[in-house]
Amino acid sequence: MQTIDMTVTVNGQKQTLAVKPNDTLLEVVRDYLDLTGSKEGCGEGVCGSCTVLLDGHPVRACLTLALEADGSAVTTVEGLADGDTLSRLQQSFIDHGAVQCGFCTPGMLMSARALLDDKPSPDRETVRRALSGNICRCTGYAKIVDAVEHAARPEAGCPDCRSKDTGGDHD
Amino acid sequence: MRLPQFDYHSPDTLEGVLALLDEHRDNAGVLAGGTDLLVRMKHRLAAPKVLVSLKHLDSLSYIKETSGMLYIGAKTPIIDVIRSDRVQQQAPALVQACERIGAVSIQHYRGTIGGNILQDNRCIHYNQSQFHRSGRQPCHKDGGKICYARDEADRCNSTCQSDGVTALMALDGHLILNSTRGERRVALDAFYTTDGIHPFDMQPDELLIKIDIPVVPGAVSAYQRLSYRSAIDYPIVCAGVRLVPDPDDAGCIGSARIVVGAMGRSPLFLAKVSQSLAGMRFDDNTAFEQAGKDAMNAAATFAAHNAGADLAYRQAMVEKMVGRALAHAAGQVSTRKVR
Ligand SMILES: Cc1cc2nc3c(=O)[nH]c(=O)nc-3n(C[C@H](O)[C@H](O)[C@H](O)COP(=O)(O)OP(=O)(O)OC[C@H]3O[C@@H](n4cnc5c(N)ncnc54)[C@H](O)[C@@H]3O)c2cc1C
Ligand code: SF4
Ligand code: FES
Ligand code: FES
Repeated sequence: MQTIDMTVTVNGQKQTLAVKPNDTLLEVVRDYLDLTGSKEGCGEGVCGSCTVLLDGHPVRACLTLALEADGSAVTTVEGLADGDTLSRLQQSFIDHGAVQCGFCTPGMLMSARALLDDKPSPDRETVRRALSGNICRCTGYAKIVDAVEHAARPEAGCPDCRSKDTGGDHD
Repeated sequence: MRLPQFDYHSPDTLEGVLALLDEHRDNAGVLAGGTDLLVRMKHRLAAPKVLVSLKHLDSLSYIKETSGMLYIGAKTPIIDVIRSDRVQQQAPALVQACERIGAVSIQHYRGTIGGNILQDNRCIHYNQSQFHRSGRQPCHKDGGKICYARDEADRCNSTCQSDGVTALMALDGHLILNSTRGERRVALDAFYTTDGIHPFDMQPDELLIKIDIPVVPGAVSAYQRLSYRSAIDYPIVCAGVRLVPDPDDAGCIGSARIVVGAMGRSPLFLAKVSQSLAGMRFDDNTAFEQAGKDAMNAAATFAAHNAGADLAYRQAMVEKMVGRALAHAAGQVSTRKVR
């Protein structure tokens, strides 16, 4: 089958790849680039576990042809940490117990990242809406919403907000 | 889930796209955001041999207003419609409908208004994986001779579950289609066939270029929808309405357009029920409730049992959706007065 060359910047690194027309962006990041953080849950746009940022916006990588990302910048969950140092958002997920099996987590983090880039201090309802396309079968969502809300704005009364890692001014 | 094989083209020009559609016709598929088409391809419900991507046609992504018309390019992303002050002002029903389409990470940035209008009709018995469908005889739309949604049906009654198009039809929207043969403009309420297998009166070489919506002075509009899980489920019933004031008496309705969606092969423009509101006052809630009831009776026979909710429930909810949409639209008139 015909392959087509494409160039895409993934987590800041420029990649030139020869892909098949029917490769999805999810298949390319997982199978060509070994970035297996993004997960395939449903493969049909429903669950959100494949969410990545395409030119800064959250999209379903399972419903995006790789070739449609030619010339674009893609951020996957692997692009959030700085080396071994987790981002404030990632640390907040851990602190708030927002990760159980972890399958939904990469997608949740990417949807949350996009929200916080757009609105640095969202209220709870805004967080819930932004994450509404991401399904979690474990946590019951409350902890995830806490993690995102408090990553932006640590809450004084929250036992899970840690001043050291979440940048809060309380202990 | 793998996609089937196809050739991929992403022409730089409109002419390039139209030439490819002309060349490949039934074998071609237009790829806008892909959030409808790629799912159907994964399910092997569609298998275009050639995908023609609109990726480079940024000239089809715009919202503008000229000489009494609001124009929206076919490739305009859903998020741009939601965030447009102009659309909010002139066609609030469309903003309300677009806000309800799926979720941020599914459609807001990838999904387009054109793709929303032209997404295929749906049916819970048909829009399933190949494996699921392999367990039973094929229905009409799958190449067979039976229908699981309606007993004895001689044709497919798959349902139009687009949010956007229900609002657009209420707003008297028209589509502008282009092909190598030239351009044509068609009213949304004349765009549908009576066959759920090929729901649109559109040729395979045609491309949707833009949508136009007349800007009517004083008009108000609203959209209501019901679905199970707001982010990932399609509407099981929805309604769009537009009310235009009487030029001689601003407190009175001059004309109305009531459209019920997700209850048939196309959105249903209910001309008679709409007419019954002419001459009523904007604060006449009894008239709106009655219109809701009439709409329910008018729309009930069109629906097939294929949207995942009890049919009687969907029918009953038409009344609520229409009644509420009318009340919301009329409410915009009273808030305007207060200002
Ligand atoms: C989980 C999930 C939930 C969803 N929920 C909703 C919902 O609640 N409400 C809703 O309305 N939709 C919903 N959708 C469907 C779909 O995502 C949206 O309708 C979206 O707006 C489609 O736009 P698109 O650009 O991605 O379409 P595409 O998939 O690119 O195109 C759809 C169809 O239109 C054709 N097409 C597109 N543009 C043109 C053009 N300019 N000219 C000619 N043909 C064209 C394509 O060939 C294709 O057949 C949902 C989808 C998923 C996966
Ligand atoms: S309405 Fe009937 S024929 Fe059409 S897709 Fe559903 S089951 Fe098939
Ligand atoms: S794998 Fe993409 S949405 Fe489920
Ligand atoms: S943590 Fe298991 S699915 Fe969300």
